[in-house]
Amino acid sequence: MASRLAVFGIKGLRTPKVPAGAVAMSGHGHGSGAPDFSPIIGKREVVGFGINGAPTYGDRSDFPLPAIRWKESTPDILALRKKELGDWKNLSIEEKKALYRASFCQTFAEFQATSPEWKQIVGVSLVVISLGLWVYYGLVAFVYPPLPETFSEESRKAQLRRMLDLQTNPIQGISSKWDYEKDEWKK
Amino acid sequence: MLRTSAVRIFSIARVAANPVACNAERCMSKHTVYDDAFDARYENYFNNKDIDGWQVRQGINDLCGHDLVPEPKIICAALRACRRVNDFALAVRIIEAMKDKCGSRVKEIYPYILQEIQPTLTELGISTPEELGYDKPELALQSVDDMH
Repeated sequence: MASRLAVFGIKGLRTPKVPAGAVAMSGHGHGSGAPDFSPIIGKREVVGFGINGAPTYGDRSDFPLPAIRWKESTPDILALRKKELGDWKNLSIEEKKALYRASFCQTFAEFQATSPEWKQIVGVSLVVISLGLWVYYGLVAFVYPPLPETFSEESRKAQLRRMLDLQTNPIQGISSKWDYEKDEWKK
Repeated sequence: MLRTSAVRIFSIARVAANPVACNAERCMSKHTVYDDAFDARYENYFNNKDIDGWQVRQGINDLCGHDLVPEPKIICAALRACRRVNDFALAVRIIEAMKDKCGSRVKEIYPYILQEIQPTLTELGISTPEELGYDKPELALQSVDDMH
């Protein structure tokens, strides 16, 4: 609340019409004792306490009813409000929606809708990854020298054979799995 | 905070005294004395003849702070209060808020609420959010982060 008032105070400083700090004090020239928030909220009607008593609007599910109406009270809306005094069955769907939108900015379905931004993030990430892969393939194809001879299948077979001949790791390792009498892998 | 702790202790004590009550807590079909008092308190609050829009909003905001789905009779009382203060948008917003309170079990609880409050809706001429097309996003709003 204190920070809110501080913000209003700062906004008041910026607006030449309002003396600094006037917002936080009781209203000038109104005589009702209520603070004058019109420099901040215009003609929007203050209709409740809201979250913390500050005349702010916000669509949120834990405080579904903010302190002020969303739209200013234009003649159109005031005419609609007069009709609202009567039976609500006489209101058309369009008028009902207009009344709702005058009080509230977004419906629950709207402000709770998931942002589709994740699609862009996933897409751009995949593009960057694929670019990296293309760069790697390019390096392999045009920059790096060919792999050494020892990477050929023949060489690797010879290395394995030599490991077996040397009886490498005979207790639990590779040579323990080789049958030296039959000269083949143990079954 | 103190009140919350007191309520918790009360609830623990009640559960200790009667383990079955644990499962029945805030179920729709079974009531405990505490829940009835809670329901009656809010129903009476909204049934106040001299209620103003400020109080309706405050009551609903309070109700949304509780970890529960309000009984249809409370919602009906709130909708009638909206009628008395001549605020149609408030009525629709309340139904939306109550749908939100159903949480992950909205498919089970929301149709029940609608069924229970339907007579009130018909009597007062209130459209459900579905009838107004508000069950799906209707308008897009540019994020403030994307402006300028």
